[in-house]
Amino acid sequence: MWSDFDRRVRKLIAFSKVEGDGGRDILRAAELTPDPLLRRLYLEHAIDELRHADLFRHRGAALLQFRATNTTALFNTNPLPGGHGLDDLTIKGEPDYRLLAFLHVAEKAAAGRFEIYREVVDDDPATRAIFDEILRDEVFHMNYTYTQLARIRPQGYRRQVWQARASRLWKRYLRLAIVVASAISGMVLTLMYFVVLAPFAVLAKRAARREPGGWTPIAPPGSNSSTSLY
Amino acid sequence: MNILGISAYYHDSAAAFVIDGVSVGAVQEERLLRHKNDATFPLGAIEWCLEHAGLELADLDAVVFYERSMRKFDRILTSALRTFPHSWRSFPEAIKNSLGEKVWARGIISSHLGGVPRSKILFTGHHHAHAAAAFLTAPTGRAAILTVDGVGEWSTLTVGHGERRPGGTAGLTLLREIRYPHSLGLLYSTFTAYLGFDVNEDEYKVMGLAAYGRPTLMDEVRKLIRRTTDGAFTLDMDYFEYQTTAARSYSRRFVELFGRPRNPYEPIDLESAEGRRFADCAASVQRVLEDTLVDIARALHQETGLSDLCLAGGVALNGVANARILAESGFERVFVPSAPGDAGCALGAALYADRVYLGNPDREVPDHPFWGPTVDAKELARAAREDDQTVEELDEAVLIERIADRLADGCIVGWMDGAAEFGPRALGHRSILAAPHAAEMRDRLNRDIKYREPFRPFAPVTPIETADRYFDLPPGGARLGRFMSGVFPVRPEWRSRLGAITHVDGSARLQTLERGMAPRLHALLEAYGRRSGMPVLLNTSFNVAGEPIVNRALEGYSTFRRCGMDVLVAGPTLVTKRARQQASPAKEAVA
Repeated sequence: MWSDFDRRVRKLIAFSKVEGDGGRDILRAAELTPDPLLRRLYLEHAIDELRHADLFRHRGAALLQFRATNTTALFNTNPLPGGHGLDDLTIKGEPDYRLLAFLHVAEKAAAGRFEIYREVVDDDPATRAIFDEILRDEVFHMNYTYTQLARIRPQGYRRQVWQARASRLWKRYLRLAIVVASAISGMVLTLMYFVVLAPFAVLAKRAARREPGGWTPIAPPGSNSSTSLY
Repeated sequence: MNILGISAYYHDSAAAFVIDGVSVGAVQEERLLRHKNDATFPLGAIEWCLEHAGLELADLDAVVFYERSMRKFDRILTSALRTFPHSWRSFPEAIKNSLGEKVWARGIISSHLGGVPRSKILFTGHHHAHAAAAFLTAPTGRAAILTVDGVGEWSTLTVGHGERRPGGTAGLTLLREIRYPHSLGLLYSTFTAYLGFDVNEDEYKVMGLAAYGRPTLMDEVRKLIRRTTDGAFTLDMDYFEYQTTAARSYSRRFVELFGRPRNPYEPIDLESAEGRRFADCAASVQRVLEDTLVDIARALHQETGLSDLCLAGGVALNGVANARILAESGFERVFVPSAPGDAGCALGAALYADRVYLGNPDREVPDHPFWGPTVDAKELARAAREDDQTVEELDEAVLIERIADRLADGCIVGWMDGAAEFGPRALGHRSILAAPHAAEMRDRLNRDIKYREPFRPFAPVTPIETADRYFDLPPGGARLGRFMSGVFPVRPEWRSRLGAITHVDGSARLQTLERGMAPRLHALLEAYGRRSGMPVLLNTSFNVAGEPIVNRALEGYSTFRRCGMDVLVAGPTLVTKRARQQASPAKEAVA
């Protein structure tokens, strides 16, 4: 994936979006937590994530400038669903211990992935330097989430981490299920489009040709207009 | 009578609450969820509205949704049929989107608001809600109405009129419409996408960029939009793809006509030929939009003979066009609500149901934008003290003088006061304030606070009494400036002393402030005027790029902590940032 220029740029831009969304989620946690120390740490964490988003975005932009490419095709490709910030994490109403466990697991997984990416972008020192910098931050993120979890949940903090891992697996399964369901429904609807809609399309096009351009009078509201969906 | 208005599912979902004909609260879901342009069902906003009014779901007499979802579905389906077979890519997604949730509006509202009988759930047309948001909140007895946006159900632009009758009732009639796919809003959005900005969000960047260009491509833009003999317009759909795909709004022919689109991740270099071409594109579409709107408004003025115009819809956020409508259409006053976009439809739908469906007597709606949650100064003081910040709680007069001193010293102030604004503009309750004199302040704000493009201007706020001294306001200009809805020239003699708020073309999107609307800010402007000789401040929304405007004190505080703001104020609480007192010691200790 990293050897392909377009996919590398797309990946960097996608990372930028995920880090940015994640940063905003953690910022939200900082605004909601009643714990002053956690507020400070979440804020640091959020600032890091937002900075990572900038690093990725600037690197993606720099690569694009370095080699002119068909940017329209590049950015019109919709990414797979899911992955808004931290796995569609709900911050409001979530207790700090659960959030910390989740963040710890997510940061650990991200650090693992970034370490691999750092190795495979050997040919691109600037991108490698970004991964280096981010990995240094990830150490802080992993450590503080774990130590703070142990502080606020001295009993059962390990169980929380296991639960967070299970929850991530479940969310991954749900995301996959959505992708599969979406693909199936997309195929069925495409089939319907060509099979069922074709004759109606002829009628609709004929009606459209008869429609005058310009102003169309608006009919006065009928007696049931307040409850009508149409 | 308790009426809840809701807008949702496209962008900017919101809820508004009307009790006995008067709005008591309105808030966009994004402000509560902290997710910009959130389009989900506004449960948080509804919950806040009810709590604010001290009511339960069972107390609701009606819940009004801002559009007719089946009519919208009819447009989506018909559009797919008319563009068959080119719409095959967008069809599955459009159907899934619609059938997955949006068409079942009544059932969804009913299930979310358990306990509200389905008979109490009402619907208005999308543009009727826009029209009501403009007319029923405006201090006028009779007015022509013009609504312009991307698209509602079928309408993209409507004209009509509204009247407050002697018997105390109000009437609102929309006479005719321009129908999808012919849309001024979508024309502008297509250029927004072409220029590498986000559609439904960054249209104001096109307006800002336009001032740097010359309208040299108007003939090309006019190939896209043709006027019809009855005074309306049609778009040549060969240049657009928004009907057939969600991925791109402009076609290959469009690109052949205007050249390569901008890469969204490359900065616009206005010194380069490419950058100037983009600026010229922006200037050209802006001018064509203005010309078209002025023509339609002028014809409406001649037809109705009315002196007031109520303007709404997303396009009404275009302050340059609004100012030209005021100057050239013949209307003496133009009223644009504080939330002319889809969020405002929540309030419009509730008011429309109250006055038109239920026939309740007209009541005057307070003429201010502050319908949102109130800031809690104690919350700020507590959090700031816990973080060892410098916190002072001061008497009103002392506080105002202190902040004026700081502003005169070149500090940037985060200002939170009372209830939040409803709508996209910061109008003095959730603002970042700064001295407006030097262009370096604009650059500093763009670089250290707002993290945004250097070509974007900042807006000024000044007391209504002195506005005319610094700005070249036409008759009716002060009214248009009430909610920052018009762009007007800065008087040439003051431009060098108002460098941070004077755009490259010598204009500014002015807010004219009446004392009664935001007394504390008015007092601050006067205090600042005593120091600088000019009661004018730079006023920009209290947020950073990509985030909604702050709502609670803690959101203001977290924004304050991570950007280059110097002072934060909420109520009587003043927090001053110490030099480089970031939380890094905590980071080092843990790491």
